[in-house]
Amino acid sequence: MKVRFALMFAFWIATFVVPAYAHHSFAAEFDINKPVRLTGKVTRVEWTNPHTYFYIDAVDADGKLTNWAIEGPSPGALSRRSWGKDDLKVGDTVVVEGYRAKNGSNTANGRRVTLPDGRRLYGGSPGDGGPGDDGTDQGNLPATSTNK
Amino acid sequence: MDLHGWLMALAHSPLGHAMQTSRWGFAVVEMVHLLGLAILGGSVLIVDLRLLGVILKGESAITISRDLSRVLLVSLSVMVLSGIALLSEEAGKCYYSPAFRWKMVLLAAAAVFYFTLHRQAILRTRRGTVTFWPRIAAVVSLLLWLGVGVAGRAIGLL
Amino acid sequence: MPLLHQFCETLYQSGFGTMLRESNNAFSVIESVHVLAITLLFGTIAVLDLRMLGVILRQISVSSVARGVLPLTWSGLAVSVVSGFLLFWAEAEKMYANPSFRAKLVLLALAAINALVFHRTIYRSAHEWERQHMSPWRARATAIASLALWSGVIIAGRAIAYF
Repeated sequence: MKVRFALMFAFWIATFVVPAYAHHSFAAEFDINKPVRLTGKVTRVEWTNPHTYFYIDAVDADGKLTNWAIEGPSPGALSRRSWGKDDLKVGDTVVVEGYRAKNGSNTANGRRVTLPDGRRLYGGSPGDGGPGDDGTDQGNLPATSTNK
Repeated sequence: MDLHGWLMALAHSPLGHAMQTSRWGFAVVEMVHLLGLAILGGSVLIVDLRLLGVILKGESAITISRDLSRVLLVSLSVMVLSGIALLSEEAGKCYYSPAFRWKMVLLAAAAVFYFTLHRQAILRTRRGTVTFWPRIAAVVSLLLWLGVGVAGRAIGLL
Repeated sequence: MPLLHQFCETLYQSGFGTMLRESNNAFSVIESVHVLAITLLFGTIAVLDLRMLGVILRQISVSSVARGVLPLTWSGLAVSVVSGFLLFWAEAEKMYANPSFRAKLVLLALAAINALVFHRTIYRSAHEWERQHMSPWRARATAIASLALWSGVIIAGRAIAYF
């Protein structure tokens, strides 16, 4: 049937269009076998749709200072988790617990962020399969390898 | 087996593993889901707007609905199959997502309504005239299917 | 900097663009409208395409189907363009370099040209063939191109997120 033909044609095209970088689900983008715990100074905040990002200068396992991109959901989703746009200020030292991107880049998801005043913000979704996920709002983050 | 058990079984199935480890599986399946959505929505729109007397008033609603039902069934099948694949990757998140639960309830309602009261309302139509019950059926149908679409969008936004 | 790039940067940095980009709900709502509008745009034109391919509604003449469907398709296009422009405004700087966005615009232009050519040529003689179950090969070629091109627009649109 022609509907099926059109759909299959589109399906075929899609395999060329989409690069080797899956998106939009925890399991597809982040690696559950690569937990990270990063402590560093915030260098930049992008409070944008469809995804928010903030960047920190953190010292990695080799002692090198590298800039990491921390990905989060949309501003709307974060505000529903009680994040405010001004919670992350450039220059603040924060602790980010999350999982590294599957493509190996210096990108992690901001599953839990601890602010200078001790407040903890949660950037995941109940049931998303991320670390410590037990279906509750905050989950229980297991001890992760520490990158000081 | 309860819903949670079923979803976890799906997540641990070969389909689930394939979807979770594939680099672009989710993206491609989601695109198929999106194209199916467009076709499904189009067929619903045309049948229901005919029932409301907005378009194709001079043509038989029964004729239109008979053919577009086939389109709807094919696109609905594509959406259900692709939807199960998407679900196998995000089973836990969907289980806890109120948007997903709403979507499933509205989908069941829309499908049941479509094959029962909606079908009966169509059979009562006559060429060139628009009667009461077909109009109600059309509005209910449009609202239910729109609800499915909106709830589906909300899964990713909440 | 090329003029087009400058234009994108101006939109991106404008107050309105920034407000949309950083909004809690506005961007999500506009994006949802844009996505659901594909039913009004592609879902309806697909019915006309399938008629010309002789798959559905064979008892109804092509021009009758067109008369019923095209106003909906135009509405869908209007909603898509307006919502799409707002999304573009919010993300303009990023869209300038995005290959999938550029591909989407190219495919959109091709889909429009396909429709224009159809209406100016083979459709002019519709009264001669519109009652046939399967339309002449030129009409069928238009229909297949329409299905493929609009599918491509939707796919390219979704793929914007991956670049």
